[in-house]
Amino acid sequence: MAEIAWALGKILFMLVFVFTVLVVMIWGERKGSAFIQDRIGPNRASIGGVIRLGGLVHPVADVLKLLFKEDLVPGAVNRFFYTMAPFVVMVIALVTFAVLPFGDAIYLGDKVIPLRIADLDVGILYLLAITSLSVYGIVLAGWASNNKYTFLGGIRSTAQMISYEINMGLAVLALLLVYGSTRVDAMVVEQGQLLFGFLPRWGVFLQPLGFVLFLTSVFAETNRTPFDLAEGESELVSGYNIEYSSMKFALFFMAEYASMIVAAGFISSLYFGGWQVPWLDTITLREHAGTFLGVSLWVGAVFNLLFAALLWKRYRRERGLLGDRRELEPLVLGIVFFILALVCLGAVVIASPWNLGEQGAAHFATVVQVLSFILKTLFFSWLFIWVRWTLPRFRYDQLMKLGWQLMLPLGLLNFFVTAAVVLLAR
Amino acid sequence: MAKIIIDGKEWEFEEGMNLFEACTIARGGEKLPHFCYHPGLPVAGVCRMCQVEIEGVPKLQIACNSTVRDGMVVNTRSERVENTVRQILEFHLLNHPVDCPICDQVGECALQDQYMKYGLYETDVDVGDKVMKHKAQAIGEHVMLDAERCVLCSRCVRFTEHITKTNEMGIFNRGNHSEVGVAPGLSLDNDYSMCVVDLCPVGALTSRDFRFRKRVYRLSSVDSVCPGCATGCNMRIEYADGVIYRQKPRTNLAVNEYWMCDQGRLLYKHVGGDDRLEEPFVREDGELSPVGWDHLWSALKARWEGLGESRRLVLVGSPHATLEELYGLKSLLADAAGGRVLGHRLDGTEMDRDDGFLMAADRTPNDQGARRLGYEAFTASELHDAGGEDALLVILDNDLAGLDEAAAEALGSYGAVAYLGWRENATSRVADFVLPGLSYAEKDGVFVNKDGRAQRFFKAVDGPRQAREDWRLIAELGEIFGHTPTWRAHHDLLSELSARLDAFGALAGGIGEEGTLLDGDSAAKEVERG
Amino acid sequence: MPYSIHGPQAATGGKGSRMRGAELWYLKEIFRGMYVTARHFLTNVFHMADMPTLQYPDEKPNYGPWLRSRHRLMKREDGTPRCVACQMCSTVCPSDCISIVAMEDDRPDVEKRPETFTIDLLRCVYCGMCVEACPCDAIRMDTGIFEIAADSREKFVVDLDFLLNNTTDGVKP
Ligand code: SF4
Ligand code: SF4
Ligand code: SF4
Ligand code: SF4
Ligand code: FES
Repeated sequence: MAEIAWALGKILFMLVFVFTVLVVMIWGERKGSAFIQDRIGPNRASIGGVIRLGGLVHPVADVLKLLFKEDLVPGAVNRFFYTMAPFVVMVIALVTFAVLPFGDAIYLGDKVIPLRIADLDVGILYLLAITSLSVYGIVLAGWASNNKYTFLGGIRSTAQMISYEINMGLAVLALLLVYGSTRVDAMVVEQGQLLFGFLPRWGVFLQPLGFVLFLTSVFAETNRTPFDLAEGESELVSGYNIEYSSMKFALFFMAEYASMIVAAGFISSLYFGGWQVPWLDTITLREHAGTFLGVSLWVGAVFNLLFAALLWKRYRRERGLLGDRRELEPLVLGIVFFILALVCLGAVVIASPWNLGEQGAAHFATVVQVLSFILKTLFFSWLFIWVRWTLPRFRYDQLMKLGWQLMLPLGLLNFFVTAAVVLLAR
Repeated sequence: MAKIIIDGKEWEFEEGMNLFEACTIARGGEKLPHFCYHPGLPVAGVCRMCQVEIEGVPKLQIACNSTVRDGMVVNTRSERVENTVRQILEFHLLNHPVDCPICDQVGECALQDQYMKYGLYETDVDVGDKVMKHKAQAIGEHVMLDAERCVLCSRCVRFTEHITKTNEMGIFNRGNHSEVGVAPGLSLDNDYSMCVVDLCPVGALTSRDFRFRKRVYRLSSVDSVCPGCATGCNMRIEYADGVIYRQKPRTNLAVNEYWMCDQGRLLYKHVGGDDRLEEPFVREDGELSPVGWDHLWSALKARWEGLGESRRLVLVGSPHATLEELYGLKSLLADAAGGRVLGHRLDGTEMDRDDGFLMAADRTPNDQGARRLGYEAFTASELHDAGGEDALLVILDNDLAGLDEAAAEALGSYGAVAYLGWRENATSRVADFVLPGLSYAEKDGVFVNKDGRAQRFFKAVDGPRQAREDWRLIAELGEIFGHTPTWRAHHDLLSELSARLDAFGALAGGIGEEGTLLDGDSAAKEVERG
Repeated sequence: MPYSIHGPQAATGGKGSRMRGAELWYLKEIFRGMYVTARHFLTNVFHMADMPTLQYPDEKPNYGPWLRSRHRLMKREDGTPRCVACQMCSTVCPSDCISIVAMEDDRPDVEKRPETFTIDLLRCVYCGMCVEACPCDAIRMDTGIFEIAADSREKFVVDLDFLLNNTTDGVKP
């Protein structure tokens, strides 16, 4: 029973994590693209006319809007597959997460609870299997919509997936050789050590070429710029999802981000040490838990104070500019940060000197590690956005040429060289 | 014949011809700058604009007061001429208010047009130094005078002196203060008063009727013929956006020269008048009620068939109808369908006095056309005698009941009366079927004037939506009586009639701009000159 | 990057790449591009106030005195329109959106004035020719109102009354 409860808890955590990051990512995409293009970006939607959070309210408003929009189904579609497609895409994006470890195990007394949802021996192969399924959703959507643009979008997507899956597989195979395990959690644990005594033993340092190959393939697999040919607005209007509206469209839209987050999770797990905090392994973390907590509370207090001060300044500067309640926002947020600073300070004062006990120290370490995972994932999520607003879309022949004529040979080379090195090192 | 060189080119003109006219021809139709010269008026030579250089004469001469002599060498375009004209124009503008924004002449103002060519564009005259004169005086029922704008060309004065011989207008005072006006105690109310509006080269004399209603450059125009009397003055209908704004005489030296009476000018008001017949009507339960065309035709047919075995068709034409319509009525409804043509007008009606100038005694435009087609005048008792409970009377645009009370009574003796016309009148009110037709401004046609001159007029604007061209209505009537016309289009009527009837043989080659005399001789009345 | 759609590859349908590997991957250029975008991003994050964007409905741009904004008709001192219905504006108007019906004015020094004067703001192209044509300085485009919005086409057709009382605080069309 407890097993199931824990599993459900972890699934819930994952879902909450993905959907939260999703909202933040949609915001980040809009705001980030704006900043990259010297614009301001969304900043109008507000809660109560006061809180705008720099546009963070927009995704919420968008979802609300999409929820209440009429669910149009065009006449000539194949209803069953048409309705199924967005769910396929979304579900596949989510289930990939099952094998991703987001922290070291939690120890409750003598009970060990590993922080990943499914304990699969095939591990990384599961990832390969599931991601290759996700093309089904897109192809289904393209075909069932009964529209030539969606159909072309679906076809493109298929060809692209097939081409890049091989490269991704090759990169992952090389990793298997290096780590000697198909289990993702085992790989992450491996990356906790140091390389040459000063570098974290991260996949990216062991497999630099593999990383580039994997990264590129992941971009292609998630249909992101510069490989978003399935959407190709300039020639396909919007690709496979033209005929979708309201929440069905939203599912496609969110699935795109969900799969990006998953991909970011895998990139950080496979090549950047996953939940490992560089140079601080679990044992070190537990030993010095008290000190670390104290330091982080101090840092937190200082930063919160800094934020509060900045916001206060901004409030003073912008007062009277807009002439309505929106001006209060910096004040409100400033107060929130000030309170947070006080909380941190209070915690420092009350809880010192620092002695968390063994159990507490273990939990502290877990929290830090999960945070480390989240931060890495967020960074790679941001990378997707960053790349999108930097690179133009590939032309289709370029895409194919890159995949087959360049990446495939390089992937093979990488694989054989790795195999040879591993063989020799043994 | 005199050989003369104008602008370096040799021409041959009649000795003694007006040099102004000769120059116009030599300049390819481009007239010399002028205000006072008018071919219909005696030469005054007061505006001094028409300066030309004549070799051997030391000073520049005005062309309008010179005549062509053999061996003359004339220069109309030299710099000297242009400079002089420029200075003279500046003189004309000395006291001119240049209030073009509120002047109706804009667009047809000789002063504006010539200033564009000969303007100095920089004036030394201070507005404060200008001599103020009387503005906006209503000098007659139809004419407004703004003495400030007058360039003292005296055209209006000459017109009242020589053409109408009424002498209402004159130029008063001297020098800078010369001012045109009407003689004390008089007002410009003769029958041709609005001709001075056309004559006035500037906006000094403007039409009170047209005042401020439209900028003239917004108007389009078509050639037409005045339907007001048997003279058939040539005119232009000027309209914009489907609305007629004014009628102006069109030069036809054989008919009306340059003039036209006020009555004729204002006839256009009827076209958009309140008494237009805009819908077909059928008398049902004693009341005329508006119906659709389909309803009217079936009701008419039922009525016609209900008149019994001995049913008869009696037709009345009109001196107001066009030649084509009258021919259609006669050939289709009389000759083919067996109707009896009573005639085209009630004897002795629609006559007035002949004023000896343009207005003819006969106030209908096409009496001659009707007569030449075989229509004759009839009397009210003839109308009555032709009647009967079994008779259907078809009246084409002829207000019988309004013209003669006896005729009005006679209408009552008919089994049914169908009226084709465009204005509501006493006859249309007693008719059982009212078929709305089109006015002279809304259709093409031919009128034959009192001298037997066939003249064409053209459509200017669209008629009411439900109204139909009269010839089509006649064709429809033919179908009801079981006869399909031989003509399918309007122009078929004219070609058929000129081919079939000797009296109209002259029309076979088409009708000229000045009209075509049916009798082939020059019986045209020589319009008297004042 | 020497790559054009008219290049040999496009012509031969991709038979053999003439480009070297790194070029095909564009790696170097990708990093350069990402450097540029990152620079913009960070600059804007830390200098948000310097962004050139105008917070439009809250902040209004100042277009200066030469802006051709919504028309207005000037009044005489007694409040009647200065316009004499000369129709020069409607004549010169390239989009033919001014329609004027003139009428007689009893005052001898005025003589003529507009009975109706309508401008179809939807048709207007804001060229300002009407202003230049007017001999009486009766029509101006200096209200500063450049937000022309309404919820029906009819409301864009503004009449004499509206134009006479049309100032920045005036009613919207
Ligand atoms: S007559 Fe009238 S239109 Fe001609 S110049 Fe004078 S004010 Fe202007
Ligand atoms: S009123 Fe007109 S026609 Fe008469 S003199 Fe003056 S300008 Fe000539
Ligand atoms: S601004 Fe231009 S388009 Fe608009 S009314 Fe004036 S002249 Fe016409
Ligand atoms: S140009 Fe000026 S005076 Fe003339 S109609 Fe237009 S606004 Fe009125
Ligand atoms: S036209 Fe010859 S003087 Fe006036």
